[in-house]
Amino acid sequence: MPVRVLDSSPRSQISGVNQIPAIPPACTLLSVGQTFAGTQNVSSLQKDEAWRVNVRIQGCDLEHGYLCGTMEALNVPFADTPVVTFWEGEIVDIKNYTFFTGKWEATPEDDVKHWSKFQSFSPLLSQVEVDGGKSLDLSNYPFIFMRWKEQYFVNVGTDCGLTIAGFYYVCFSFSDGSINGFYYDPNSSPFQKLELKSTNEGRSGFSFSSYQLQ
Amino acid sequence: MPASAAGNRPEELCERLASVDSGVRLKALREIKNQIIGNRTKKLTYIKLGAVPRVAAIVGDDDSDAPLFVQSAAALGSFACGVDIGVKTVLKSGAFPHLIRILSNQDEKVVDASARSLRMIFQSKLAPKYDFLNRKDMDFILSLLNSVNENVTELAASIIAHSCQTGGEQKALSDEGVLQKLMNLLTGSINQRDASLDAFAAIFRNNSELISKFAGFDNGRKTLGPVVELLKDKYPRTRLLASVCLIVIGQASPCHLEELGVKTKLIPVLVELLEEPGQPGDDAPFTLANFVAGKEELQKLAFDANAVEKLCKFLRKTAVQPKRFEGLLLALSELCSKLEICRNQFHQLQVLHIVIDALKHDSTEVRSAACYCLRSITRSVKSLSAGDFTNETILVPLVQLLRDPSTSVQVAALGPLSNIAVDFTPRKAIFVQCGIVKEIIQLSKSMDSAPRLNAVWALRNLMFLSDKMGKESILIELTLSTLASLICDSEVSIQEQALGLVCNLLDGSIDSIEYAFAEDGKIIKAVARQVKNATNLEVCIQGMYVLSNIAAGNELHKEAVMDHIIPPVSSGGGTPIITSHLRSSDSRLRTASTWCIVNLTHPTSTDASDRIARLRNAGVIGQIKSMVNDPCLDVKFRVRTALEQCTTFGNAAS
Repeated sequence: MPVRVLDSSPRSQISGVNQIPAIPPACTLLSVGQTFAGTQNVSSLQKDEAWRVNVRIQGCDLEHGYLCGTMEALNVPFADTPVVTFWEGEIVDIKNYTFFTGKWEATPEDDVKHWSKFQSFSPLLSQVEVDGGKSLDLSNYPFIFMRWKEQYFVNVGTDCGLTIAGFYYVCFSFSDGSINGFYYDPNSSPFQKLELKSTNEGRSGFSFSSYQLQ
Repeated sequence: MPASAAGNRPEELCERLASVDSGVRLKALREIKNQIIGNRTKKLTYIKLGAVPRVAAIVGDDDSDAPLFVQSAAALGSFACGVDIGVKTVLKSGAFPHLIRILSNQDEKVVDASARSLRMIFQSKLAPKYDFLNRKDMDFILSLLNSVNENVTELAASIIAHSCQTGGEQKALSDEGVLQKLMNLLTGSINQRDASLDAFAAIFRNNSELISKFAGFDNGRKTLGPVVELLKDKYPRTRLLASVCLIVIGQASPCHLEELGVKTKLIPVLVELLEEPGQPGDDAPFTLANFVAGKEELQKLAFDANAVEKLCKFLRKTAVQPKRFEGLLLALSELCSKLEICRNQFHQLQVLHIVIDALKHDSTEVRSAACYCLRSITRSVKSLSAGDFTNETILVPLVQLLRDPSTSVQVAALGPLSNIAVDFTPRKAIFVQCGIVKEIIQLSKSMDSAPRLNAVWALRNLMFLSDKMGKESILIELTLSTLASLICDSEVSIQEQALGLVCNLLDGSIDSIEYAFAEDGKIIKAVARQVKNATNLEVCIQGMYVLSNIAAGNELHKEAVMDHIIPPVSSGGGTPIITSHLRSSDSRLRTASTWCIVNLTHPTSTDASDRIARLRNAGVIGQIKSMVNDPCLDVKFRVRTALEQCTTFGNAAS
């Protein structure tokens, strides 16, 4: 979800890829077509300032630790329509990505500070502090940690007064399909919290759809 | 008019080939040979005039003298060079056994001419095959290999390259010491070297056992080292053939390529060869495509060696020969098949319009290759999410190819169309508006399974996240009857795609589920039949997801699913199909089946408790309980969800 512009200098880096083999866990709730709805607290101080957010998963490639989708912010101040962005996610699977971001202006200290906001991260903390979690086996861990980085605005121009310079530290829970996240951008309010729950579009149960690229 | 000019007309020269005067015949032969060298039109003219059988008669005449043999053999070789119809005519004329016979002529010039001529024939796929399991053929090839004549040994290598096909033949040749003899040829003339590399590739193809044996104790450093050295040869054709040979070795026995440390060397050699004019440059993109196909690591190496940039640069050149054009498109297709960085560079170099234009090329192969290239380019979810390809510039020429005279082009065109159909934006409607859906549906009814599969695949992707109107438009054209028959298609892969299509059709708004029950439940019946009877895992998984989607509906929907997964008591019970699927060794099928139970027992449904009781009586809840510590996390947590829901209704504990 985009946030208000404070500083819009673009930054990106090519991520270093770790070659330690691990099997990324598959989860149907994180498969293509799945939707999530919730809020993002834009300011960590004013708890009442929250934007409604919808997320849809559009691509998933566990082999490469890749996930992508769209994020729709519904009640964005000053915006006439909901603002939709396309994001790409790095799954912390140790094979492709570790807990250390290594780009987007995030230092290992920033990483640990943000990951530590998730309760599910505490058993991993000591090892991550040592090596970013390179020696961890997350293939059977009931949480999936990710970084989501918005790449472009889908339905508005870049002059919309919003920025997508930062990225989210994200944690998905297998047990209830919930997603929690914290937005990180040195030029935005710290620890903006994203809270999402799996949705079923008015159905009495969960529904699935899929595509296959040729 | 000078007599000589009048006498050189093709008709007259042809006449003179049958002259009783051997001097006249020789002169005519020489003239014809000179005229047809490198001139396709002239070759065809003489072939039409019946010159080839007359030349064959001269080479087959025991009374012919050495110069006649030399000239007739050379003329036949020239007819066969690079023109399939020429090879056909030469073979039909009966010249082949005569050329073989004069290989043992006393006169060295005759032998040379015959060997060269035969080599031309063996460059064609139409040349006859030798059977190396046949002693006579093996002895013949060995005699050629043992010859001191350079042209003859080169011919032997060409025959091996052309004829050696089976593992048995590869072994037989190896057992006779042919590999060592070929090795010796690597230090011979350029032609011997090239023919030898070609023969090596034929003997090593898909035969890791033979490669290991030949490589010996040092993993081929000594035995295969000379081939690696030829990667640096000054002749481009030799570099290309050495690359092909090493690629064949690597594909059959990857460890040897690793050991030789040439994997990284091959990429720059091939990329550099793209620059070459003529045959090596024409063949290089095909070889590069073959080498990197399906191998992400090699694609990255090729990207780092600027392969994408170079290929795009050549793509921009005007008047590229069709063969080379096809190769460039295929190489780009392979390079962009997996890596987004390659696709990004392709876009940055702005050559998309060239590939789109190639969709209208005269050559069938180029049109197909352009489709393959677009298929790889459209694999980017990032671009698809931006709706980058959903425009008429790309779609219109692609759709026109759905009516291409060549079925393979139709199938190839459905590749990028399937990908573009995924489009996550409302622009998807263009498929209906431009009549594309109609064309695709036409092919989904094809008798040929290849277009049928790709058409259903495209429809499945088009149905993904389609709105109500989109779904309606597709169904009106497709009809539920056709969809039901596709679910039960004779081809398993089509069944799978059709079930995927249904899954997408029933997803979204709860109203969509009604499609499963329309026309007396054609769809749910077909799906249930597959879930019950299919032996293919993918079909079962897709089928279970369809039932799961229906089970996410209202009470009637859920009850219908129950009727299909639990046998009625009147039938005597038996293990319910859902239990069998829950017990599957494949976690994906267990997951799909568990979702179905989660939906059937969903707490928002009023009759959940009745269904839980039925599921319990049928032993399904017992099965679910036994899966509480399933090794697959996805299954484990969905099982817990199902059990929690059952507990809510107070039935699970029993």
